[in-house]
Amino acid sequence: MKTNDWDSLLIDYIDQNLSAQDREKVEAALRTDATVRLQYEQLREVLQTMDHAGEQEPPARMTTSFNTLLQEEIRAARQPRTISLTPALYRVAAAVALLLVGGGVGFWISRHQQQQAELEAMQREMKATQEMLLSMLGNDLSASQRLQGATVALRMDRADNELVTVLVRTLTDDPNTNVRLAALDALGKFSDERPVRQALIKALSTQTDPLVQIELIRMLVDMKEKTILKELHRISTDEQLLNEVKDEAHAGILRLS
Amino acid sequence: MTDEMLMKAVKDGDLQQASLLFERYNKRIFNFLAYMAGDRVLAEDLTQNVFLRVIRYRNSYRDGARFEGWIFQISRNVLADHYQGQKRQRSQFIDVENMSDTLSDNTDAAEQDDKEHLLQRAMTRLTEEQRQLLVLTRFQHRKYEEVAQIMNTTVANIKVKVHRAIGQLREHYFTLEKI
Repeated sequence: MKTNDWDSLLIDYIDQNLSAQDREKVEAALRTDATVRLQYEQLREVLQTMDHAGEQEPPARMTTSFNTLLQEEIRAARQPRTISLTPALYRVAAAVALLLVGGGVGFWISRHQQQQAELEAMQREMKATQEMLLSMLGNDLSASQRLQGATVALRMDRADNELVTVLVRTLTDDPNTNVRLAALDALGKFSDERPVRQALIKALSTQTDPLVQIELIRMLVDMKEKTILKELHRISTDEQLLNEVKDEAHAGILRLS
Repeated sequence: MTDEMLMKAVKDGDLQQASLLFERYNKRIFNFLAYMAGDRVLAEDLTQNVFLRVIRYRNSYRDGARFEGWIFQISRNVLADHYQGQKRQRSQFIDVENMSDTLSDNTDAAEQDDKEHLLQRAMTRLTEEQRQLLVLTRFQHRKYEEVAQIMNTTVANIKVKVHRAIGQLREHYFTLEKI
């Protein structure tokens, strides 16, 4: 019998998982075979050491940090997802106030000029925000920066081709699951745009992270994208994939059929 | 309330329920990551990251799915992401020379401590999958059935792999003992 076979038998013997017949076989070998006896003593020491190692207590500060983090998440969940709504409201309110106070042709001219200036300021702000988030998404050294970039992208009202390209690249290539999921969320917001839709369909066949796969399937099914049915059939029968992913694909097939 | 009911509540927007899941699972996840990473401080960060993902990606939890399997899958992903990020900078193998400073706070020179230290060093010579299997089955005393669900495979496959891992651990342990 090979060393590996004896390892397995001896482990079951130590764990008391052997049939009476196998137990007798092992005990006979322990009495007569010095090599098997040494192997048994070594295994027993290793297994006992593992049994006695026990669990370590996590530091108390971990609970404190988690509670802080949880409260931040609760606060963030309560906040609306748009970033420009409040300033825009202020601007509209200011415009209304001016309309009431001023009046007359002169006022109309000035209001027009002001609106023009506000529009330009908003465009500059949007451009600056987009440049900032593109730079964040491209930060190879910091996953949290990229995550933040994708989160800001989610709050954008519109996305140009450059932003969509970067988000698709992030969804496909980023090494961090959190960042990929955030990029997927952001792309989902622009899913009415044809290039985004096509990129999401393509990602379904290339994505390997189970969490991202599940989210992607849900998103495409919500979009009623029937062209993915064939891919969903493949996923639902792929033995290499997690059951959760296959279940989601199966549920998607039922919803789309 | 079961874990699954709590997670369903979190998914439905009652994020405060995540604190109960944290109470139930933080020690298990911390220990899993501490044994896997061989570094308590890193395990602390990674554990926070696991629970952050539980909250942020709550919508990816499938109603009724076993919560424990789901959170361990997240833990494995967090660990894999960590190693992926580190890959370019250094080997994913643990720095054996600094193990005693990182994994255990206990510096007693008792025999059991020596054995545990030796065991930790031997563990670093196993593959990541083998370490995961031994942490779950031997340090955390989970049944093969549970681990098979977590690892998405059969009980027979888990048993074979665990026995093989123990056999290799034995060889590393007694080779290192002679050094």
